[in-house]
Amino acid sequence: MIAAKGLHKRYGKTVAVDDLSFEVRPGVVTGFLGPNGSGKSTTMRLMLGLDHGEGEGETLFNGERFTSIRRPMNQVGTLLEAKSLHPTRSARNHLAMLASANGIADARIDRVLDMVGLGPAKRKMPKGYSLGMSQRLGLAQALLGDPHTLMLDEPTNGLDPHGIHWMRDLLKSLAAEGRTIFVSSHLLSEMQLMADELVVVGRGHMIFNGDVDQFVREFTTSTVVVRSPFADAFVSVLEAKGASITEGDDGELVVSDMEIDHVGHLAFTEGIELAELSRRSASLEEAFMSATGAAEQFVAEMPIQTAQTAQTPEGAQHA
Amino acid sequence: MLDALRYEWTRLRTLRSTYWMAGSGLVASAAIPVVLGLGANDEPLHADAVNLSVNGGASFVIPFLAVFMAVVGIFATGHEYRHGTIQPTLTALPQRSRLILAKILTVTALTSVVTLASIAINAALVLVFWGEVPGLFDDPVRSALLGYVAHNVIYALVGLGLGLLFRGVPSALVVIFLMPLIVETLIVGLTMVPALAWLVPAVKFLPFTAGAELMLTSPANFGPAAPDFGFFDRWASGGVFALFAALIIGAAWILFKKRDA
Ligand SMILES: Nc1ncnc2c1ncn2[C@@H]1O[C@H](COP(=O)(O)OP(=O)(O)OP(=O)(O)O)[C@@H](O)[C@H]1O
Ligand SMILES: [Mg+2]
Repeated sequence: MIAAKGLHKRYGKTVAVDDLSFEVRPGVVTGFLGPNGSGKSTTMRLMLGLDHGEGEGETLFNGERFTSIRRPMNQVGTLLEAKSLHPTRSARNHLAMLASANGIADARIDRVLDMVGLGPAKRKMPKGYSLGMSQRLGLAQALLGDPHTLMLDEPTNGLDPHGIHWMRDLLKSLAAEGRTIFVSSHLLSEMQLMADELVVVGRGHMIFNGDVDQFVREFTTSTVVVRSPFADAFVSVLEAKGASITEGDDGELVVSDMEIDHVGHLAFTEGIELAELSRRSASLEEAFMSATGAAEQFVAEMPIQTAQTAQTPEGAQHA
Repeated sequence: MLDALRYEWTRLRTLRSTYWMAGSGLVASAAIPVVLGLGANDEPLHADAVNLSVNGGASFVIPFLAVFMAVVGIFATGHEYRHGTIQPTLTALPQRSRLILAKILTVTALTSVVTLASIAINAALVLVFWGEVPGLFDDPVRSALLGYVAHNVIYALVGLGLGLLFRGVPSALVVIFLMPLIVETLIVGLTMVPALAWLVPAVKFLPFTAGAELMLTSPANFGPAAPDFGFFDRWASGGVFALFAALIIGAAWILFKKRDA
């Protein structure tokens, strides 16, 4: 269990983290989401006492501050930036160094290196590591002390698809063992599969703290998809009852502002044959976009039009 | 605290530069008795010559071993920032004061051991060329060699403090090379300009110049035009150097406790 209270951090005039308080429960994966620069990494660093914030904010890991835990790697495993490695100290020696401060046996070092798939490269120097390899070493570091709590900042960064899949399974199984997992990521489809709880921030502020389904419901409107041979007739019926309707790419009707049972009831009472009636619930990605749209700081420009698309009438239509 | 010491020891041990620096220091120091032995082994050995040969020229030219060990000291703190390892370090060992103390103790121990090894190697070389090492265990050579060990330890700790203060390697290296070799030499030189004679009493407080007093068997010779600088005695001069190291480490320590990693 992690309890963060009143975390606050300012860099000059920018408020990176503004009075964040939340709890991370054991037994589930808690995702930490937010746009670039919203303060996720800073929050994690504050929680670990790496950065010093202002005011009374503090984070307790099972009731203890990180900086007062003796041999903390056995309690809290962390992965922050990748590549925090001495370029000429081998992976094995890097872990041996950390292990020596935490009373961790040598056998465990080889065990975690094999676990993350770095076994064959463990005597190689990190200067020759790819991003994914450094990331795996970071994970090995987090798992080294077999901790009850994991804090991972974008652990999937740089991992290949197999690695991402493996990571998801690993984190889910660790959570199922009753551990506390707090993980930030920008891969929302992964998060949707993996996380049960969310902490969502924007510009250092809390936007949402609760379970994933609730987040999606709160920040999106789910729609109803209808296919019918008598679509045109049904549109006027639905519109008369206050639904808004758009036509999908495949000619299906996408109905919003009306519950699915109401749509079904109307079809029945009006005698309109339906080929499909289904609910389309929004994805975590859509919810994230709508929840954090206003809090986004670094907004990219739309793709630049090429000369060709700008000139041809066809291109213009698409644009 | 034992955990922190184990950590620091493993850190030093798994770093190639530790071996390079200590090895280079030993070799550079050993070169002095070899050169002297080849050129002047028929001349009788007096205390100054024994001292100079055994401390590898530290009291006369450049304290090679001290400089190399200062680089080890700089790396002890500077590398953590240069390579970002401060972050895994502090997640493995979040008690910052313990970490600094462990760094100080391991660098001190390593520097003492390497310096004693260098003394043994050089004494053996003197024995090879001259067949004897007269007065090695008697004053003034004995005190001067103890002073040499203290000098190297303090030098290395200045490096450690600078690496932590600047949170990096290059600026600490610049200071540790520039300050004794250029800044202090310049100040000592300027005292010989009559108009700047008021600088004379300050010289005994120049940290590296005072530190060199630790290693002497006879008064330092700054040339015929040099005034009398009125140095403190060996151990008090060493105290000036140690105080300088303590100030740097103290400032760096206080900042380290407050700063973001
Ligand atoms: N060392 C620093 N000095 C000054 N400003 C900083 C520093 N570190 C972070 N910031 C600022 O704090 C804010 C939060 O940054 P942070 O790295 O925590 O964001 P993030 O949510 O982790 O972003 P990303 O998704 O890109 O990893 C940003 O505005 C950033 O510019
Ligand atoms: Mg980040």
